[in-house]
Amino acid sequence: MRKKLILVLTLIFVMIFTGLVLAEEQITLTIAGGAVGQELETTELAAEWYMEENPHVNVEVLDTPDLATDRLGLYLQFLEAESSNVDVYQIDVIWPGDLEEHFLDFYDYGAEEIVDDHFDAIIENNTTPDGRLVALPWFTDAGLLYYRTDLLEKYDRDVPETWSELEATAEYIVEQERAAGNEDFEGFVWQGDAYEGLTCNALEWIYSNNGGDIVSPEGKITINNENAVEMIEMAAGWVGTISPTGVTGMAEEDARSTWEAGNALFMRNWPYAYALGHEEGKATAGNFDVAPLPAGEDGQPAATLGGWNLGASKYSNHPEEAAKLAMFLASERVQKMRAVQATLNPTIESLYEDEDVLEAAPFFDSLYEVFTNAVARPSTVTAPNYNQASELFFQAVHSVLTGQEDALTALEYLELDLMDLTGFETGNPEY
Amino acid sequence: MSKNKYKLLKKVLFYFVLAIIIIYLLFPFYWALNSSLKTEAQLSMTPATFIPRDPNTGEISIYTNNYLAIFQDGQFVRGLYNSAIVATSTTILALITGSFAAFALGKLRFKGKTPALYTILAMTMFPQVTVLAGLYAVITALNLGARISMIVTYLLFTLPFTTWVLTAFFRDLPKEIMQSAQVDGATAFQTFHMILLPLTAPALVTTGLLSFIQAWNEYLFALTFTSIDVEARTVPVAIQYFSGALARQEPFGEIMAAAVVVTIPIVVLVLIFQKRIVAGLTAGAVKG
Amino acid sequence: MAKSDSSNLAREEQKLAFKLLIPAFLILVIIALYPLGQVFYTSFTDRTFATARETQFVGLDNYRSLLSVTMRELPAVIDEDTGEQVVDENTGERVYERPIQVLPREPRYRSVYQFNLFGNRYVLGARTPDFIRAVVNTLLFTIFSVFFETILGLGIALVVNSEFKGRGVMRAVMLVPWAVITVVSARMWQWMFQPTRAGLFNMIGTRLGLIDSSYSFLTNTSLQLPSIIAVDVWKTTPFMALLILAGLQLIPNELYEAAEVDGASKFKQFMTITLPLLKPSLAVALIFRTLDALRVFDVFQVMLSQRRYSMASYNYFQLISARRMGLASAIGVIIFIIIFAFAILYMRALGVDTE
Repeated sequence: MRKKLILVLTLIFVMIFTGLVLAEEQITLTIAGGAVGQELETTELAAEWYMEENPHVNVEVLDTPDLATDRLGLYLQFLEAESSNVDVYQIDVIWPGDLEEHFLDFYDYGAEEIVDDHFDAIIENNTTPDGRLVALPWFTDAGLLYYRTDLLEKYDRDVPETWSELEATAEYIVEQERAAGNEDFEGFVWQGDAYEGLTCNALEWIYSNNGGDIVSPEGKITINNENAVEMIEMAAGWVGTISPTGVTGMAEEDARSTWEAGNALFMRNWPYAYALGHEEGKATAGNFDVAPLPAGEDGQPAATLGGWNLGASKYSNHPEEAAKLAMFLASERVQKMRAVQATLNPTIESLYEDEDVLEAAPFFDSLYEVFTNAVARPSTVTAPNYNQASELFFQAVHSVLTGQEDALTALEYLELDLMDLTGFETGNPEY
Repeated sequence: MSKNKYKLLKKVLFYFVLAIIIIYLLFPFYWALNSSLKTEAQLSMTPATFIPRDPNTGEISIYTNNYLAIFQDGQFVRGLYNSAIVATSTTILALITGSFAAFALGKLRFKGKTPALYTILAMTMFPQVTVLAGLYAVITALNLGARISMIVTYLLFTLPFTTWVLTAFFRDLPKEIMQSAQVDGATAFQTFHMILLPLTAPALVTTGLLSFIQAWNEYLFALTFTSIDVEARTVPVAIQYFSGALARQEPFGEIMAAAVVVTIPIVVLVLIFQKRIVAGLTAGAVKG
Repeated sequence: MAKSDSSNLAREEQKLAFKLLIPAFLILVIIALYPLGQVFYTSFTDRTFATARETQFVGLDNYRSLLSVTMRELPAVIDEDTGEQVVDENTGERVYERPIQVLPREPRYRSVYQFNLFGNRYVLGARTPDFIRAVVNTLLFTIFSVFFETILGLGIALVVNSEFKGRGVMRAVMLVPWAVITVVSARMWQWMFQPTRAGLFNMIGTRLGLIDSSYSFLTNTSLQLPSIIAVDVWKTTPFMALLILAGLQLIPNELYEAAEVDGASKFKQFMTITLPLLKPSLAVALIFRTLDALRVFDVFQVMLSQRRYSMASYNYFQLISARRMGLASAIGVIIFIIIFAFAILYMRALGVDTE
């Protein structure tokens, strides 16, 4: 009897012991990221590469909703529960500031060596005021001007470099096209719905008109200035003239739909619409190109910085391994593969000169400047209140676009609201 | 003669009203079907067409790839299976516990009925998103699987519904039935089981169908509870995970195709059970 | 002897009742108690969602900031030369001081609505104007959509309840709108409301010559609520119709037969038999419809997102985007209280006895 008991006990000990050893050897890491076709495929391929190099690690890719608010909602549930289920998060460029407390500092894991390879703007965006690098740049995005080559040629017009040129060209061609029988034709479609997309659009207008970036990196509220007022008034003038009245309800996909039906001369959108617009059977196929967005009279073109980053969770069971995995995913080798296979814009400067990359995405070359000079939204400086600040901003702009308020009043109130929210002082925009 | 004419007129009028109702109920669904058979280019065509047409030639051109795509998507098919399991289990649980409670609340005499009714209703009076964080904590603490989590948490809205509807129906049933049963020496449980339950079949089927559909359509809880367990995702979540080739691209045609496909099982279900909806107080049950 | 028998019976009945209620309350305790209690508790704190920062107990602060409203008169702007009120040259409207001049600053109140009354102009100010607007939006939405759903649901139920060929199929057809997944149906309607002729309504509207080629239903402030109400009425009328249909089954045919013998008209039968006997089922249907309407989320979220809030969609953005969990919980509690009030109101108004 006793012998049996001892035998059983030893067996149990052996099992527990081997279990522990095995657990130490074989670990599983989970990346939560994009659910989308090529994006997901290339992430999975990168995970496979990593597993080949690190046989003790099993990498799993967890797809999350494509809709940013849904994804954020989900992440917040994980982070609130301090869940160890996810080790590496794919996070939007506006989240590092708000969520920084949940992520590891990559400088503790040797990021020093690689930060110089990436775009400065993104590294700056992902660094907290106390100098922690909480997210690694993964791929970037920036606002572009899409224009119809065939129509500009037909009416002998140039690609506009200023907003007033865009306005004039659009006005003229819309008139002509409508007279020629296309009553659905519009001059310029963009993202005017009251959501984060409008913050991106309006930031581009204002910044390119020397109106600053809403809240400066030093923590001064700069939005209430003449140049900003002028530019927002101008954009409000587009609604119902060169842009449809419905533009104040448009998001990216609505603009793309109008555009691809051949019903718009210009479109402001992200690079994703490039490949889709050239798909066979669409009115825009072969008939358009992209350029930097126009600027104000004395300003420089500006594109809002978009894109996604990688953060390693503090609640991971294997923080060091998680950080290593994130570093691998953000590395040149993976970014190159993703640029070639899925046209995801790299955040590593040298890749914009890489032949294979340029062959896959020719417009990378001409738009290098746009990507490197992209303007970050004030998400790090206003953290952890960025979403609220952005909402105040886009609601104010939206109220001007829909004619409920004039730009002067709206920005005056916005300034007060931002002061209430952030406690910052006001200041003048730098340019 | 004139009476016949009057009858005919009434008939015509009736079918006219019926036709309008059918068009009103089904046209948006037809539009979804129409959209599901279009390519992206056809969808963005102006003006929109009632039948999928080629943007250039104007010929009828039907595109079926949206349907192929959703059936090739393993998650969608698995989602149908998961949704069926979750919605069925929740409905059955809600009907059982709900009809127990409703019998007590509707037919038995005891103190504290009103507070009990309102307490049960209170379960469902918060917006879903408000209780989500708390629920997630409970689910994590109890360490339930994703499917079980959904089945149990859906009771939050199905149970009050079944309880209240069934209570109203039980209360309406004539007292004589119970009394005559008691005279026959049946226990209260027997009365419930043998007489009341069959009598309330229409109510059971109706509430069952409505709760089933509610559970079938639920999104927010499902999204959160199945976030880690990919295998357990239900249909609404699977649809939300549909994606184009690139981020930001929304495969609208596929979403519409899924909407059409997902509605079919429910229609079949209703066709199976519809007779029951109206099979109530007929026959001699009342008099017996 | 007989007395103790009946009291025995009563006791037994009570026992059975409690036994039958156990499962429901067990479920309630296991799943609902903690989340509901947590919402109540959190509503008195300044808790932030998903953060380790310390949470303070703030008493009623969240409620105060949500519900504080004030009404002020706006003084007219007087022209110094003429001593008369200034009139806007472009619009021809009288000019008043801006709300910010008269509304309290500490804490700050913002303008919710401005309106004229007895020749004076007033401004309604609130500390959280978006929430006050969300409450008004939701109440309007609820009243109109529940009203139309009840009328239409009753009509459809009566039609489907009569004898005709294909009744069975009709019962299935009736449920189709309710069966379409809510999130998807909102997307589908949004597509139909598209502000170009790619959208159904603009296409039909222009074909009939009613509207210009681009009419924007969902950004025009006066069309937003009607559009949303139309969508919700379509989607949830079946719910009403089916519950009413089931209620109709409970009315014994004998009553109608007797009324027929008495020569009562169909309308009179409806008023004296159908409606009164339908009350209990109608009350329950109304309560659950109202409850859902007051918590309306998907349609608002998908079709109007942050252009116009319902209480629940405002709540969602406060919780997910702004992460103000304390405030969001307080909103939840306010919705809870409003729903409770409606439920009791219905039960009283329709004279349904719960005991």
